[in-house]
Amino acid sequence: MLIEIAQFLTILSTGLFFLNFLFAFFFDSSDRHMASLVSKVYTHSSLLLATSFFIYVWLAVSDNFSVLYIAQHSNSNLPTFYKITSIWSAHEGSMFLWILFLVLWGALFNFVTQNSQDLKVKSMGVISIIIVGFLLFLLLTSNPFETILPIAPVNGADINPVLQDPALAIHPPFLYMGYIGFVIAFAHAIAFMVEGNPSIKWESLVRTWSIAAWVFLTIGITLGSWWAYYELGWGGYWFWDPVENVALMPWLAATAFIHSLSVSSKSSSLRIWTILLSIIVFSLSLFGAFIVRSGIIDSVHSFANDPERGLYLLTFIGILIIGSMTLFSSRFSMLSSGSVIKTFSKESFISINNIFFGVLVFSTMLGILYPLIYESIYEQKISVGAPFYNAIFVPMAVLACIFLFFSIGAKWQRKLVISSFVNSISISVLISVFLVLLAYKLLSIHGTWELISIFAGSIIIVRYLFVIWDYLSNKKYSNPFSVIAHIGLGILMISISLNNELSTERALNIKINQSDTYQGYQIKLTDLKLVKQPNHDSIQAVFLVTDPIGNNFYLKPEKRKYFARGQITTETDIHVTLLKDIYITIGDQLKDGSWIVNIQFNYFIRWIWFSAIMMGFAGVMLIVSLNKAR
Amino acid sequence: MKAIRQKRLITVFVILIFSGLGSFLIFKALDSNLDFFFTPSELIEQTIPENKRIKIGGMVLEGSVIRDKTNITFQITDYKHSIAVNFDGVVPDLFKEGSGVVALGYLDNGIVYAEQILAKHDENYMPPGMDIEK
Repeated sequence: MLIEIAQFLTILSTGLFFLNFLFAFFFDSSDRHMASLVSKVYTHSSLLLATSFFIYVWLAVSDNFSVLYIAQHSNSNLPTFYKITSIWSAHEGSMFLWILFLVLWGALFNFVTQNSQDLKVKSMGVISIIIVGFLLFLLLTSNPFETILPIAPVNGADINPVLQDPALAIHPPFLYMGYIGFVIAFAHAIAFMVEGNPSIKWESLVRTWSIAAWVFLTIGITLGSWWAYYELGWGGYWFWDPVENVALMPWLAATAFIHSLSVSSKSSSLRIWTILLSIIVFSLSLFGAFIVRSGIIDSVHSFANDPERGLYLLTFIGILIIGSMTLFSSRFSMLSSGSVIKTFSKESFISINNIFFGVLVFSTMLGILYPLIYESIYEQKISVGAPFYNAIFVPMAVLACIFLFFSIGAKWQRKLVISSFVNSISISVLISVFLVLLAYKLLSIHGTWELISIFAGSIIIVRYLFVIWDYLSNKKYSNPFSVIAHIGLGILMISISLNNELSTERALNIKINQSDTYQGYQIKLTDLKLVKQPNHDSIQAVFLVTDPIGNNFYLKPEKRKYFARGQITTETDIHVTLLKDIYITIGDQLKDGSWIVNIQFNYFIRWIWFSAIMMGFAGVMLIVSLNKAR
Repeated sequence: MKAIRQKRLITVFVILIFSGLGSFLIFKALDSNLDFFFTPSELIEQTIPENKRIKIGGMVLEGSVIRDKTNITFQITDYKHSIAVNFDGVVPDLFKEGSGVVALGYLDNGIVYAEQILAKHDENYMPPGMDIEK
């Protein structure tokens, strides 16, 4: 009965959201009553949908295996937490969560803004029609409410063990919040173009929302990277997997977008570009959903292949893109500001930064799609791996850093006087050259691009330290968000280079009570334990590791066998230090009783995530300060 | 008016040159960094330069796995032809005889020296090009 109620509520809310779209677009939106009606209908339909989702959560928690999806992805032995997260462990449920978040962003926006705010009614209309598009997709092609009748199975098939992990439980929600959060900006851009009143400052209305979505996306990607590092046992933080790339593209475009927003919310220059970016960011987010859910690309992450879903999503995205681009070109003359960007002003530097981001997005897209194109032409399967992306990303990032370096201190609408910064610029360069020499001599970093990247990262950091010093000693104003986020970028450049060059790994072959040494570390296999858990058995290997100074610590990697699916997984164990991780996994046992053990030294990997957290933190600070200023 | 038009023309021209150059460089980077995917039968038909990174996909031939300390050799097969693979390190959990596998590495004297062994995180996974029923 509950299942039918939940499904009915979802259908009902679909109808109401569609009605809301009609209200917003085909009646007089300047009418106060109409505005209040749209707002109220939205609130009610979102309550219906949220109720439906909560019933669904309850169905999962109470082990209602007559729901096909829950029977396929949950299990009564799971802890309650994983019963809930099993909802977003596969296609139908995660799509439901995606829609819930889409509705929530709209509801939050609806809740905190006045009904009289410019563009609100039409934006709510755009959001409503997008919700309808996704709800129809859910109900028609991927119904999570489908039941197994008349007899439900006794137990469910269990969630994939590698997904039974706290980081992975929160990684998809963060990512979805990020992707779909850009709907607010997109809806406003559309509403702005439909209204056709150039005096409305749509950019400042969506700034907080877009930065919030960007923060979610940043943290979501970081969580995914961290999870893959410790759970998959490969020891890397980024694999250039197509599905990682479809998350990276909206992030890159969104980063360009929030930079452009800061320009166009102050003056109307870059307005065309900002509108275009808002459409691109949202389209790329939807494109990601298409890639993951159509099964068109072979990846670790992709859900099962289903052409029908792919076709629906492609049509939906196609309509959105063609519709918004048609609108865009028909309003082109209204959007052009006529104001000219001064060379060497802050705007000009941000425009250049947009070009870099554009190239990166284009190349990533090419890397994803090229195998498909190539195969259809030459009938030869190919894949595009890390070497291609490195060949593009590294030089682009270095160039972007150099432009950033020279732009520090630039003012809005005024020409930057480089001569007033000659001291700090030259000292930064000198210190960085010195640091690069140190890296070359002491750390034996010999890769050309690594050295160049370290240089690029360190000029930024040192230059910003001057800015901070100027602020502390002379009270000279600087934008703290920009300082923190860009120092994060500097740390990212340096730590990726060091990680790339210094990290090493080695497979060892150890018997119990024997030891082996690697890089001055002594590794002794002291014990093997069989550990019994409610849903899996595990073999735990206990290693006593002695570092070159003589400190001891234990590492306990595991091999697990999960009962429900019979799946075997590897659990890594990691000893974290400031500069490096000592990362250990066990492989198979050989006939003579010895074990294959893989040991990795992963340098500066924590710093990579730390830099991403710094960027996210800067975003949160900026949101807080924008709201205070209001 | 003429001056403005001329300026615009120059701008468009500059943009075209730069985007053309940029695309050329990107495609060049792309072309020199492709990993070609082969099944064992396709590999035997073609000659592949030794310094070209390739991917071989197929099934791990039953009874072909030989381990020596951390080193592992096995045959990848499509049940028509097989090719030997050598790898040093820990193979993935889902690596087993009779299961799908993809090796990424270099071909030398009829042996693939793999840098990476991939087995999918899905027990029903079949590598591309393997439409045969066992």
